[in-house]
Amino acid sequence: MEHSEKTVKLDIETLRNHQPRYQGLTSGHRACLGCGEALAARLVLESAGPDVIVSNATGCLEVFTTPWPESAWRVPWLHSLFENAAAIASGVEAAQKAMGKSTKVLAFGGDGGTFDIGFQALSGMLERGHNVLYVCFDNEAYMNTGIQRSSSTPHAAATTTSPVGKARMGKRHLKKDIVSIIAAHHGPYAATASVAYPSDIRKKVRRALAIEGPTFLQIHSPCPLGWGMDGSKSIEVARLAVQTGLFPVIELERGEVTAVMPIRNQKPVKDYFAAQGRFKHLLKDDYRAQKELEHLQALADHNIEVYGLLADEPDDWDSEGSDTVRRGGIRWA
Amino acid sequence: MTVYTRGGYAKPGTTLSYATGTWRVQKPVHAHRVAPCHAKCPAGEDPQAYLALVEAGQWQQAWQHIVDVNPLPATTGRVCPHFCESACNRGFYDEAIAIHAVERYLGDQAIQHNWALPAYQGMARQERVAVVGAGPAGLSCAYQLSRLGYGVTLYDAMPNAGGTLQSALPEYRLPRDVLNAEVERILACGIRFEPNKRLGRDVSLEELQSDYQAIFLGPGNQKSRPWAVDGVVPRDLHQALDLLKEWTTVGTVPVQKSAAVVGAGNTAVDIARILRRCGVPEVHLVAHKAIPAPGVPEEDAMDATLREIQQAVEEGVIIHEHRGIRRLILRGERVVGIELVHMKKLPDVEGRLQRVAFEGTETVLKVEHVIPAIGQVVDAQGMELLVNDKGMIEVEPSFRVLHQQNLFAGGDAVGAGTVTAAVGHGRRAASAIDTYLRGNEPIAQGENSDDFIEYDAINIHYYEKAPRPVEPTLELTDRTELQEIVKTLPPTDVAHEAQRCFSCGNCLACDNCWTLCPDSAVLKTRETASDGSHYVFDYTYCKGCGLCANECPCGYIAMEPEV
Repeated sequence: MEHSEKTVKLDIETLRNHQPRYQGLTSGHRACLGCGEALAARLVLESAGPDVIVSNATGCLEVFTTPWPESAWRVPWLHSLFENAAAIASGVEAAQKAMGKSTKVLAFGGDGGTFDIGFQALSGMLERGHNVLYVCFDNEAYMNTGIQRSSSTPHAAATTTSPVGKARMGKRHLKKDIVSIIAAHHGPYAATASVAYPSDIRKKVRRALAIEGPTFLQIHSPCPLGWGMDGSKSIEVARLAVQTGLFPVIELERGEVTAVMPIRNQKPVKDYFAAQGRFKHLLKDDYRAQKELEHLQALADHNIEVYGLLADEPDDWDSEGSDTVRRGGIRWA
Repeated sequence: MTVYTRGGYAKPGTTLSYATGTWRVQKPVHAHRVAPCHAKCPAGEDPQAYLALVEAGQWQQAWQHIVDVNPLPATTGRVCPHFCESACNRGFYDEAIAIHAVERYLGDQAIQHNWALPAYQGMARQERVAVVGAGPAGLSCAYQLSRLGYGVTLYDAMPNAGGTLQSALPEYRLPRDVLNAEVERILACGIRFEPNKRLGRDVSLEELQSDYQAIFLGPGNQKSRPWAVDGVVPRDLHQALDLLKEWTTVGTVPVQKSAAVVGAGNTAVDIARILRRCGVPEVHLVAHKAIPAPGVPEEDAMDATLREIQQAVEEGVIIHEHRGIRRLILRGERVVGIELVHMKKLPDVEGRLQRVAFEGTETVLKVEHVIPAIGQVVDAQGMELLVNDKGMIEVEPSFRVLHQQNLFAGGDAVGAGTVTAAVGHGRRAASAIDTYLRGNEPIAQGENSDDFIEYDAINIHYYEKAPRPVEPTLELTDRTELQEIVKTLPPTDVAHEAQRCFSCGNCLACDNCWTLCPDSAVLKTRETASDGSHYVFDYTYCKGCGLCANECPCGYIAMEPEV
């Protein structure tokens, strides 16, 4: 092997403490193998830095990072109720303001705690204009309690409360368009992101933290157990979700779309479904399956059309290097 | 027992006391895989490694990496059929990396800046080795032996070293100043060069065996295969190889109104192009094989380098594919025409390929000159007992001549076929000679393996499509007899090519594994770890999910089962 013969006696402990990134979330947490949400949370903390306070709703993230008496967090962290991460964050932010401190407040919630039960608190926080970044880790179901459907679950996905059978082919309703609802609050910044594009997440977190006012970030985080795939495929599946157009990666300011992540090679939705167990009923030889496939392809095409995800100009294909690698790892974020 | 006050809290980072590594049933390991370019290079070059050095801006180190195994990069960058590029995994994605252009650029830079070949630093060894033939095989063997500390004497029948490269390769393919600069640099490694010494005439094999402890024979294929059509030979028969040699030394070839070259290799194509340059209006090339193209099977493709064939067609050579000569039409003893027949090589009852002429497809072509280029064999003068009836020297896998003790051979004489293969033979034979002279039995050296990393192991999502740069080529009207047709790429294009390399099977420090581990169980190091990469797996916490292995763009991480 033509490599340097220098055998480095590495002290893992020291090495762990000398990593060139901020470790807001440490190892040893109890997430499943290949958990997209753990990765997303780690990336968010990395870019946010140590000077933050986190208010975390009940859910997978809260449960696996804080098995009492241990904690994987290295920033001040509060466990709120399931439904009021945004409310707690609002209170913390108000206290910070009253004390004249400038520590940024983050509110973390899953899709259940954001789209459904935490919706009112979130809307209130946005309306009152608190200086909080709300991050929604979207794994498209109530995963912590055993994979029950939420309003974020995609159409025709199978969960324990939207099973596949004679009456229905998975979830009847469509995935709630949370971004449009957030946009209607006309906050300074809102964005969606995916764990398949980590530099993009870091860029958006930094951008949001630099803004004074309520900001929202929805991170698509695959759940291997809930979606029915091997943990090693999480990133691949997340990437497919973006490349089919089913999860558009966009940025909004004051309600207007200002930037999108272009899709280089559009993939058919069938590729995305073939990779997951929760959609396997759509690949069967069933006339209903075909109808749902067409419906979902139409939804993907609609997203692409509405947000302009397939670009015409050569420059628009530039994703600022967030989906490619360079020797030496020079990712700008 | 810890007493928690009201409003109890957990201390930060305390999950570090729980080792999630116990959850694993498989663990990630770094596994260096052989890149296809390295596996397929007959000389044993590792283009992936030196492209990485070029990318890091270490041009001289990249050149040193090449000349460790091949001391003639400016030459091979010009004349090799580049098997590396045919195997390049990038070829399945957009276009193969132009490895030969990078090699050529580095070779040219070395000549321009006088970079030194790696020399032997230790004590000289006592044994002395004779190398017969100063072609690529002989030069490579002599170079490697001198690096191992042996005293080497290099014999050649011609006044200049270089072998067939010097005597039969046209200047527009390989400029002589480039070849001579590389040859001089090799000879300056302390090799004693004895030109104008032909084996059998000026020096005998017995003399060499008494004066030297080992001998390497690299005589090349300097004799044309005898050619006749039904036993008939024209009076003014010129073999293509002899014409090429006359052209490179004297500068003339017989010019008539039309000529037909018979053959499908580089010699045939070279002489056809030279005839065109010298003003022969109609030049035909009669080959029983087809021009290499995507649908053509390997056994049926012409042996000449594709670029040379394409340029020949551009320059007006008329290529007759799948044709043979059935009959010579003579007036007296002069050729006035040839009868062509459709011909292919097809397997016979034992599966061996034989030339089959298809009766009833004969046509007559009027030509004034027929030049055979149907193959070359060893000129056995001085070593008659070593050459078999097919005109080749038979060797063991270690390159030792069959039934001999201290005689080794390599290059075209044992069937190399290309300059690069000859260089590889010379290097492996030198290693075998070294083993032999230290008192051990020489063993076979590593040959090209088929165990290289395939395209489906590369995670292509992480690479952007980018076009391959085109080498500046002289227009048809600007091509002269001597001027080099294809120019070297500018350094920006060379750097661009290095960046396009997938880095198959070898870490490119892209940070993907480090970024994407949900458990922060991949740690980055400044120094190179013992397995060659800049990352270390923290097995205390690694759960074995396999994300790093799945998302590694170059296939460097493998998951091993662990129970």
